[in-house]
Amino acid sequence: MGRTLVRKLTALALTGALALSLTGCGVQQKPAETRIFAMDTVMSLTVYGKDGQQAMDRAVDTIYRMDRTLSATDSASAVFELNNGAGEWVDMDPEAASLLDEALQLGEITGGALDVTAYSAVKSWGFTTGSYRVPDAQELRTLAEHIDYSAVEVDAEGARARLPKGMSLDLGAVAKGRTGDLLARQLQEEGISSALLDLGQSSIQAVGGKPDGSAWRIGLQDPAGQGYLAVVELEDMAMGTSGGYQRFFEHSGEVYWHILDPDTAAPARTGLGSVTVVSPSGLLCDGLSTALFVMGEARGTQFWRDHPELPFDVIFVREDGSVALTAGLEEAFSLAPGYEDREVTLLT
Amino acid sequence: MKAHAKIGLLALLALALMALAAVLLLRSQGGSGTVARISLDGKVVAELDLSAVEGRWETTFTGRSGLSNLVAAENGKIWVEEADCPDQICVKQGPAGAAPVICLPNKLIIEIVEGGDGLDAQAG
Repeated sequence: MGRTLVRKLTALALTGALALSLTGCGVQQKPAETRIFAMDTVMSLTVYGKDGQQAMDRAVDTIYRMDRTLSATDSASAVFELNNGAGEWVDMDPEAASLLDEALQLGEITGGALDVTAYSAVKSWGFTTGSYRVPDAQELRTLAEHIDYSAVEVDAEGARARLPKGMSLDLGAVAKGRTGDLLARQLQEEGISSALLDLGQSSIQAVGGKPDGSAWRIGLQDPAGQGYLAVVELEDMAMGTSGGYQRFFEHSGEVYWHILDPDTAAPARTGLGSVTVVSPSGLLCDGLSTALFVMGEARGTQFWRDHPELPFDVIFVREDGSVALTAGLEEAFSLAPGYEDREVTLLT
Repeated sequence: MKAHAKIGLLALLALALMALAAVLLLRSQGGSGTVARISLDGKVVAELDLSAVEGRWETTFTGRSGLSNLVAAENGKIWVEEADCPDQICVKQGPAGAAPVICLPNKLIIEIVEGGDGLDAQAG
């Protein structure tokens, strides 16, 4: 047996050992992942960590529970009872009562731009059934008269609420954001430090960053097209987007979308394609993205300046495709390939 | 050959084989094409290597809902060309990318599972 053969084999073996160790470095932690249908949309969850699967299973249970509790269409839910009642006090799930209370507070802070009682108007336009129609001016006036968040009474401690007959509300503008906050807290309590919760694209919640320490990279949809026009980096942050393109119909050459102006009961037309809010609070992201879309950029930017106590930043994508964003997002925001020529204004 | 020499040789051969396997494994981890996965009613019904599609690929998927989606792929992209669902959101969505294309009424999902643009999710 030659020494040369032994030497060659040894060399090959050492290379092998080295190669094996390299493949070991290349193998990443596999996350627990799932996709579910809930809250009228598709949600994708990604959870890293030793107990990721268990934590994710619990997150899924929470989502289904929130969906049932907050639904306006599930006849067993308190929201349904409120909407179909005669103005008397209705007992609610404490979670729903507390969320309604916060939604009304957001209504007040935003001067009514977020109004959960716009639901009856949203129904009249056909957005809940798909049987789209354009109400005439008289009907719109009547509908607008029944939009008034201040007419809702909530006893959060007693877990009950009261709604005048003829009005109806839904928690669709805040449900996903609140769910994201709940999930983030739950996951953190279970020791999870890296997770991404895509709750139907309009609400995203990031727990920590990715396992390698980098931030989650989230594409922001181009309201006018089909790709993403920017990338936002998220770490322990939530993101909420509202835009007319999310749900709309066309009639006689005009486009009508589901984000209504509570004052007119008609689609809010403020020159914007979409509004994205970034904040540690999913609830704020969800509720404010709708409110700021209704307010428009000028009023919305002033709102941002007037409320330093609310931890959020915002991205306005205008109808002409240009972008404006508040200063806190400067580091996290970048235009996507192909969109480098878009005008970006930094708001201060 | 002495016994310990034989054992030593066997050990070296084993390591050498592992080396070969490792090299092959490393080679296969790099540079796969963009793969799209289509699922209907919660089950994966097709996987397509978009980079291997020559010309135009089209297939109709009909779910338990009775609704159909005509899915097309060309030039490395995949999208819903036609659908008979009421709100046509899946058609308006365009090609699948960081965000999957979804037809909710038909429970059809088209997602990119390999390749793609380095994004973790798409907001909007």
